[in-house]
Amino acid sequence: MKLTTLTAVFALLAGAAHADLQQIKDAGKIRIAVAMGIPQYSYIDGSMQPTGSDVETAKLIAEDLGVDLELVEITNAARVPTIQTGKADIVVSALGITDERKQAIDFSVPYATLAIVVAAPEDVEIASYDDLTGQRIGVTRATTNDQDLTANTSGAEILRFEDDATLITAAVSGQIDILSSQSAVIGGINAKRGGTPMEIKFVQKETNLGIGIPKNNPELKAWLDEWVVTNFEDGTIRTLFTQFHNRDLPDDLTSR
Amino acid sequence: MQYEFNFAALAPYWGNFLSGAWVTIQLTVASVALGMVIGVLCAIARRSAFRSLQTVAGVYIETVRNTPFIVQIFFIFFGLSSVGLRMPILWAAIFALVINVGAYTAEIVRAGMDAIPHGQIEAAEALGLTKFQIYRDIIIMPAIEKVYPALTSQFVLMMLTTSIASQISAEELTGVANNIQSNTFRSFETYIVVGLLYIGITFLMRAAFWGIGLIAFPRRRKLGEV
Repeated sequence: MKLTTLTAVFALLAGAAHADLQQIKDAGKIRIAVAMGIPQYSYIDGSMQPTGSDVETAKLIAEDLGVDLELVEITNAARVPTIQTGKADIVVSALGITDERKQAIDFSVPYATLAIVVAAPEDVEIASYDDLTGQRIGVTRATTNDQDLTANTSGAEILRFEDDATLITAAVSGQIDILSSQSAVIGGINAKRGGTPMEIKFVQKETNLGIGIPKNNPELKAWLDEWVVTNFEDGTIRTLFTQFHNRDLPDDLTSR
Repeated sequence: MQYEFNFAALAPYWGNFLSGAWVTIQLTVASVALGMVIGVLCAIARRSAFRSLQTVAGVYIETVRNTPFIVQIFFIFFGLSSVGLRMPILWAAIFALVINVGAYTAEIVRAGMDAIPHGQIEAAEALGLTKFQIYRDIIIMPAIEKVYPALTSQFVLMMLTTSIASQISAEELTGVANNIQSNTFRSFETYIVVGLLYIGITFLMRAAFWGIGLIAFPRRRKLGEV
C-alpha cells in the first residue's frame, strides 16, 4: 500500500515535470518554449505578435496534435534547462543538435538549419570561395565566419568589423556588397538597403536544428519525428522555412 | 593572481604585426602631409579679411574639434558610401584623419601666426615684398617654427589615433592585434607587443620631426636656440 502511494506520488511528480504525449492530449494544451528575438526564427512582428519560422512551426505542431498552444517565452540560454526542469513540454527555438546537448535532452530529427552564408546582390557572380579572390567581403571579427573565410580564401579583401551592428551598417550603407553572416540577417539588411537586394550565394556552414524533448518521452519523440518527416516530405515545413529565410532546406535534412 | 606569459604563441604572427605597423606608418605619413596643407590653408582663411572665408574655416575647425574622432570616421565611412562614393578602406581612413588633424593643425598654426609681431609684417611691406612672399617667408615659416614642438605633439597624437581606423576594418596595428588575439587568445601578450610597437613608432616619429626641423629651420641652429 505504502509502495503504491509512493509510486503514485512519483508518477505525479514525473507528470508535472514531463508530460508525455497522452498527458499533453489530456491537458488539451502543449507548452512550447521559444526564445524570442532570434531574427527570422522567432521575433515580434510589426503588430506586436510573435512570429518567425519557429513560432509558426510551434503553431502547426499544436494544431496537428489537436491541442491549444501555450507559447513559453524564454531566453536563449534557458532553452535546454527549461526542458530539463519541465517548465515546457518541448522547445522549438533554433536549437542546434550537439553531442553535449544530447546528454541533457532528446532531439527530434532535424526540422530546420541555421546557416552561415556568403551573400551578395544578384549581379555579383560568386559561387565558391575561389570567386572571392580580389573581392571585398565584410565579416564580424573573431566569429566562425571570419575563421572560415580566412582559412578558405586567398587574395580576398576581408573587412573585419567589430560587431554585427557595424557589419550590417556597412552593408546597408553600401560600403560592402558581399558579406558573410548568418543567413537570417540578410532579410533585415535588404529591408533597409536600397538597390539590388542581397541573396545567398553559398552556404559556408550549416547546423542542424532539432526540437528539444525531455529525456524518457518515447511516445512524444516518436510522434514529433513522424510529424517532422511527414510535414517535411509534403513540403509544409520547407515552404514555411523558405518564406522566412529566403533559402531552401537541404533535401536530406530529416535523415541527417 | 597567476598568469603564465606565453609570447611564443605570437611568434607565427610577427609578419602580421609588422604589416600592421607599416599600415599605421603609411596612414600617419599621408595624414600628416595632407593635414599640414589643410591646416595652413585654414589658418590663413581664419585670419583672412573675407568674412565668409573666416566663417567657413571657423565652422569646420570647431565642428571637428568638438566631436569625437570615432563619430567623424563613422560619419565619413558610412556617409560616403550612402551617397554612392566607395573608396579603399585606407583612403577612407586617411580622409577622416586628414579632416581631423587639419582642424587641430589650423589652430596651432594660427596661434603661431598671431605671435608674429605686426612690425615684422609692416617692415616686409615697406621693403616691397609681394603678398605671397610676405605670407611664405615672413608669416608662415616663422609661425611654424614657433609652434613646431606643439605640431610634433599633435602629429604623434594623431599617429596614436590611427588605431581607431581599426573600427572601419583598416588592418593597421590595432586591427591586426584584434585579429591575432582572437586567434591565439593571448590578449595580454598581444597588446604588450602592440604597445611596444606604438612606442617604437613614436620614437621614430619624434626623431624624424627633429631631423626635419633641423633642415627646415636652419636659423635656429645659427642662433644656437636648440
